[in-house]
Amino acid sequence: MSARKRLRSLWAIMYYLGFTPMIRNPLFIAFVFSTPFTLLFILFVASNGSALPYGLAGALTMVTTELGLFVGTDLASYKIQNRFQDIVVASPVSPLVYMFGVALSELIFGAPALIVLFGLMAGQGASVVSLAASLGVVLLLWVTTTSLGFFFSAYAPNTQNAFIINGFITTLLSVLPPVYYSVNVLPKFLVPFAEIIPTTEASALFQGTIGLGYSISPVSGFVVLLASTMLMLILVSFRMRWREN
Amino acid sequence: MKALRAVQLTKVYRKSKQPALDSLDLEIDSGQIFTMLGRNGAGKTTFLRIASTQLMPTSGSVEVLGLDAVREAKQLREKIAITPQEAETIYPLTPRDHVLLNLRMRGLPKEEAKRRAQEALDDLELTEVADVNSDWLSGGLKQRVIVAMALRTDAELIFLDEPSIGLDPVNRRRVWDQLTRLKKDGKTIILTTHYMDEAEALSDNLVIVSRGKVVAAGTPQSVRASVTQRTTRVDVYDKFNQSELGKYGHAVSIAGRFRVLTDENGAKDLGDEAVARGARVALSPVTLDDVFVDIVGEAEKEEEDER
Ligand SMILES: Nc1ncnc2c1ncn2[C@@H]1O[C@H](COP(=O)(O)OP(=O)(O)OP(=O)(O)O)[C@@H](O)[C@H]1O
Ligand SMILES: [Mg+2]
Repeated sequence: MSARKRLRSLWAIMYYLGFTPMIRNPLFIAFVFSTPFTLLFILFVASNGSALPYGLAGALTMVTTELGLFVGTDLASYKIQNRFQDIVVASPVSPLVYMFGVALSELIFGAPALIVLFGLMAGQGASVVSLAASLGVVLLLWVTTTSLGFFFSAYAPNTQNAFIINGFITTLLSVLPPVYYSVNVLPKFLVPFAEIIPTTEASALFQGTIGLGYSISPVSGFVVLLASTMLMLILVSFRMRWREN
Repeated sequence: MKALRAVQLTKVYRKSKQPALDSLDLEIDSGQIFTMLGRNGAGKTTFLRIASTQLMPTSGSVEVLGLDAVREAKQLREKIAITPQEAETIYPLTPRDHVLLNLRMRGLPKEEAKRRAQEALDDLELTEVADVNSDWLSGGLKQRVIVAMALRTDAELIFLDEPSIGLDPVNRRRVWDQLTRLKKDGKTIILTTHYMDEAEALSDNLVIVSRGKVVAAGTPQSVRASVTQRTTRVDVYDKFNQSELGKYGHAVSIAGRFRVLTDENGAKDLGDEAVARGARVALSPVTLDDVFVDIVGEAEKEEEDER
């Protein structure tokens, strides 16, 4: 396929698997908002508003995590249930374009939630520079969790399973660890464990950029995040098989 | 030119001992409609999936359009399209979205894709439902959407795995018309089906596969005629038991009667005997359906005897 055709291909996948479902069924958008913003709301009221910045950092992390992991559920359906992936495999569409297209479709679903969150962060006085830095962190975390989604989709024997795994991992990654709270409030012995989780690093970076102070040095946070992104990509490239065995 | 050449193609799925394809040899001419018949689990889907670069063979090779399906998969994928068995429509896309998604994903420019999508929808009489949510469609309509996705691509060779499953007779013929049109356009069609009349009406050549092996091959007529000498079928409704019918030919019990596949002499003898006994019988030429049951039954029996 020529580069031009590849672009058309990518666009078609994003348009029909991202935009179109989002516009036809706004519940998809509501679903992305639901849990992260519920937690944000609880933090907000329970703290009389003072924990709002933590809530924002947490929601941003959770939305991004969800979007990445949705890729796993969707890919599993396209492969197991719709057999759409079969049609794609036996066609000129390259695996990379397909994967990228599906991943970007999820980002489209999440765009409204991300826009609201960035708006709220700006409202909290985050500078343009820190918003840009946060966007970079969102992208890195998105690549990590999307790879995780790819990875699980390759193992899911059926769509129900994929859905359960997805929910479970979302909670494990974005509610349990210090995502909606500071890593400093954890008992000391737990801190090293928390610090190797990419969502902890991402949230710590968000917390830093919106003026809560860096509980983890931004450099080490960034390095851990980058490393986990690389690790996930490598893992996925080993595991993903376009053609079945 | 050959559109497909499989040599000693074998597939043993992980966690399974029986091969799904067992040293299968097969050649298919280009520009033909070629049909694969075979019982459930015979290996038809496995073959189609390997030839269309979706599945790795265990051993042997398959060349499609002159390209090795394993080593030259990337080039081959530029030239093929498939309709998978038991595919489902995608929520909340409409039939038109499905067809457009496939055409545009394959790199066609927007306007061209739109025009072709309309043609594909008209081809299978999906025009009226073209813009409704596919979830609301009946089973047969959904199946037509899946088939429509493959009808107007640029592919030179199209694999269709049970494309007419669940379709009423009118719509099955509509699918046949489209496959015939594609053939006229110079494309090669490889399909599987369980409908013998479909195989007979459509195919230039066909094979019957049993347990991963080809057990009969040729034109529908030649498979019907030459693979078995049993050209006549006698349905016997009463006054005979199965074992005594065995001496006239191959006798099976179907839906409360016995069906005997036999040659003309056997049919005559059996007819005389039936008249003598006052039994109800009906004579007719064998159909591909009968041949299928006969051949597959025989092949399975031989294999069991070998063990
Ligand atoms: N993914 C798989 N893993 C293990 N065994 C499989 C797998 N897919 C198919 N098989 C086995 O391989 C054999 C051939 O299956 P295949 O799907 O090719 O048959 P088929 O001829 O298409 O049957 P049908 O008419 O029912 O569609 C069967 O015994 C089946 O159980
Ligand atoms: Mg099959």
